[in-house]
Amino acid sequence: MHGPAALQLTPDGRLKHLLTTEGLPKSLITELLDTAETFLSSQGQPVKKVPLLRGRTVVNLFFENSTRTRTTFDIAAHRLSADVVTLDIRTSSASKGETLFDTLKNLEAMQADLFVVRHSAGGAPFFIADRVTPDIAVINAGDGTHAHPTQALLDLMTIRKYKGDPANLSVAIVGDLKHSRVARSLVHGLRSMGCPDIRAIAPGTLLPIDLEHLGVHTFHQIDDGLSDVDVVVLLRLQKERMSNALLPSEREFFNLYGMTESRLRRAKDDAIVMHPGPINRGVEIANEVADGPQAVILDQVTNGIAIRMAVMAMTLSTQQGRHS
Amino acid sequence: MSMIIRNIQIISPGSPLHGATEIGIYQQTFVDPTELTNAAEIDGKFGWLVPGLIDLRINLREPGLEHKGTIASETRAAVAGGVTSVVATPITDPVVDSPADVRLVLERAKESGYCRVFPTAMLSQSGAGNHLSEMAALIDAGCVALAQGNRPFSSRKIELNALKYAQSLGIRVILDSESRDFAEGCAHAGQIGTGLGLSLNSPLSETLGLVADLELVDATGVSAHFSRITTGASVARIREAKAKGLQITCDVTLAHLLYSERALADLDPNFHLERPLRTEDDRLALIAGVSDGTIDLIVSDHSPHETGAKLAPFPETERGMSLVEGAIQLLLQLDQKGELGFEQSISAMTVKAAQVANQPQLGSVQHGHLADCVLFDPNGSTVFDAIHWSSAGTNSPLFGQTLPGRVIGCWIDGQCVTT
Repeated sequence: MHGPAALQLTPDGRLKHLLTTEGLPKSLITELLDTAETFLSSQGQPVKKVPLLRGRTVVNLFFENSTRTRTTFDIAAHRLSADVVTLDIRTSSASKGETLFDTLKNLEAMQADLFVVRHSAGGAPFFIADRVTPDIAVINAGDGTHAHPTQALLDLMTIRKYKGDPANLSVAIVGDLKHSRVARSLVHGLRSMGCPDIRAIAPGTLLPIDLEHLGVHTFHQIDDGLSDVDVVVLLRLQKERMSNALLPSEREFFNLYGMTESRLRRAKDDAIVMHPGPINRGVEIANEVADGPQAVILDQVTNGIAIRMAVMAMTLSTQQGRHS
Repeated sequence: MSMIIRNIQIISPGSPLHGATEIGIYQQTFVDPTELTNAAEIDGKFGWLVPGLIDLRINLREPGLEHKGTIASETRAAVAGGVTSVVATPITDPVVDSPADVRLVLERAKESGYCRVFPTAMLSQSGAGNHLSEMAALIDAGCVALAQGNRPFSSRKIELNALKYAQSLGIRVILDSESRDFAEGCAHAGQIGTGLGLSLNSPLSETLGLVADLELVDATGVSAHFSRITTGASVARIREAKAKGLQITCDVTLAHLLYSERALADLDPNFHLERPLRTEDDRLALIAGVSDGTIDLIVSDHSPHETGAKLAPFPETERGMSLVEGAIQLLLQLDQKGELGFEQSISAMTVKAAQVANQPQLGSVQHGHLADCVLFDPNGSTVFDAIHWSSAGTNSPLFGQTLPGRVIGCWIDGQCVTT
């Protein structure tokens, strides 16, 4: 048997699926970021499409709500000239009682080349990757609270663009790390890239228990945690954290952890502020920061398309290599 | 009929025959071979002769869940693992909560079973935890104990009443201690489960449940058996309670002695259990607990499932593992790994289990006791593959493996039952 980290690589270390950033080697991440940057430069051109995946079929399998991730995967596949089918599974076969396994086998029979999977259960893309025929690639577009590797990669791309090599940086992640697949994947990605100082800032109820083990320093006081950092990553706060009694109110969260101009001054002068979106103004972030010069949130969205193009291109070229 | 098994080493902790090299069987009981004339002789070829194992916790799935397993298939699997007596949980569909249900299980076991089946029934009607079941009638119908399985009582008050009532009738209760507030989650709240983004089950769920249950047992004086403890903290609490003089027993599952949370790293749904696998420290504390006698019994918690129940992403699969089929081989494996001596583990599945199941004629190879035994070759090996598999559930880490040790034969009431 093999966990997600092992299953996504071929025996010679190439990217077959993208399931997690855990254990993803620095060389592969660098290659993905470099490839994404070449796509990014083509995005500025009048013709945005490249013919790399002409004739290939990408199936977006979304078992869970998503607007922007799904849209950026859609756009990325179209720009690579792939044929794209998007299935909102919540409203189709799953509600008729078909199991995930049967759905999978049916789609396989339709001769897809790549599945982009979002699912509420941790490990679902791994389950699919472990059982699809070997010529289909699987990309995890978010599974439960486990992983969201393309988001982590676009974050790394943004960090590299503005701040350079993560091996020289301090990165603080603020907010609900406990329920955040984004944070978990980013921590693994930063570790792979040799980032020496990763910090988590949150109350005890929003911190997972494995952070120390991953070499992350935890802070309950935001002013201590932000001291001299290069990068601030804010996470979205879900409403249900209040109903689950993990927090008293959004107002109290903002008072303790919300990113304001004065708090941001604790970080380095040229620190950047990131957020996976969609942002809650007045909860995680104050208006003046969201709209201020240090925020790179919309740039992250643009980078997201390039990263997803790079991941699709690389996994499918690995699959193609298997046949040649 | 009479027979003598020679060239054996009897491993029967606590029996005067422990270490002896031959045994006689006359009709249904063990006898002194010198008393037999014209007996058939069996050459044991220097194998170990062990009392037939008694498994205090097995899910036979019948009635109602025959797509997962039947009394026939699962008792046959038990015999393959050297188990000659099983205590069936009442968790079927519907649950066993009436004398008619108990009689049905006993009749089905008589018709189709390969080993002894001792039923248990629910402490509450329908297992709903609201109304007491007809406990006296259930015991009269043949139950060896009453349990609540994985179904909680609706309140501690109802639980207190159930334990008080059981105590007054001299009935042993089997308790699964767990606090409902914390009991959700498919993985131990530790590094592995957190890293995989799985829903988490805090070890506090067990500690809080156990502490409360121990108080209720102390207050009522009921004879209680605590089933499936999984943490070092629970071992410590049980040890304290026993030192205080509480008349309690407890068990651990084979899976919790063999595996820790690390087994989840590959997201193999076979390791999705009702009680999550805990840390390696917990596993070692459980082994130490069996060694020093704090933990009385080892159970299989055998839970066969149909293939579809495990064919989904880990959190969405059904819980439980099919394990009884390798019971005696797994005990040998624990011995060979230097973790738990074979005599100690055998004691926890024979003589001590007979006491908890109130079957004084079972669990020991000695003259006058019922002749349930296993002839076991410790130098052989067992292949667990599709050809040899008996359980209806292949949801097992054993499937596809080869383990040390081989069951040469099983006898129940002096009759060979090995297929």
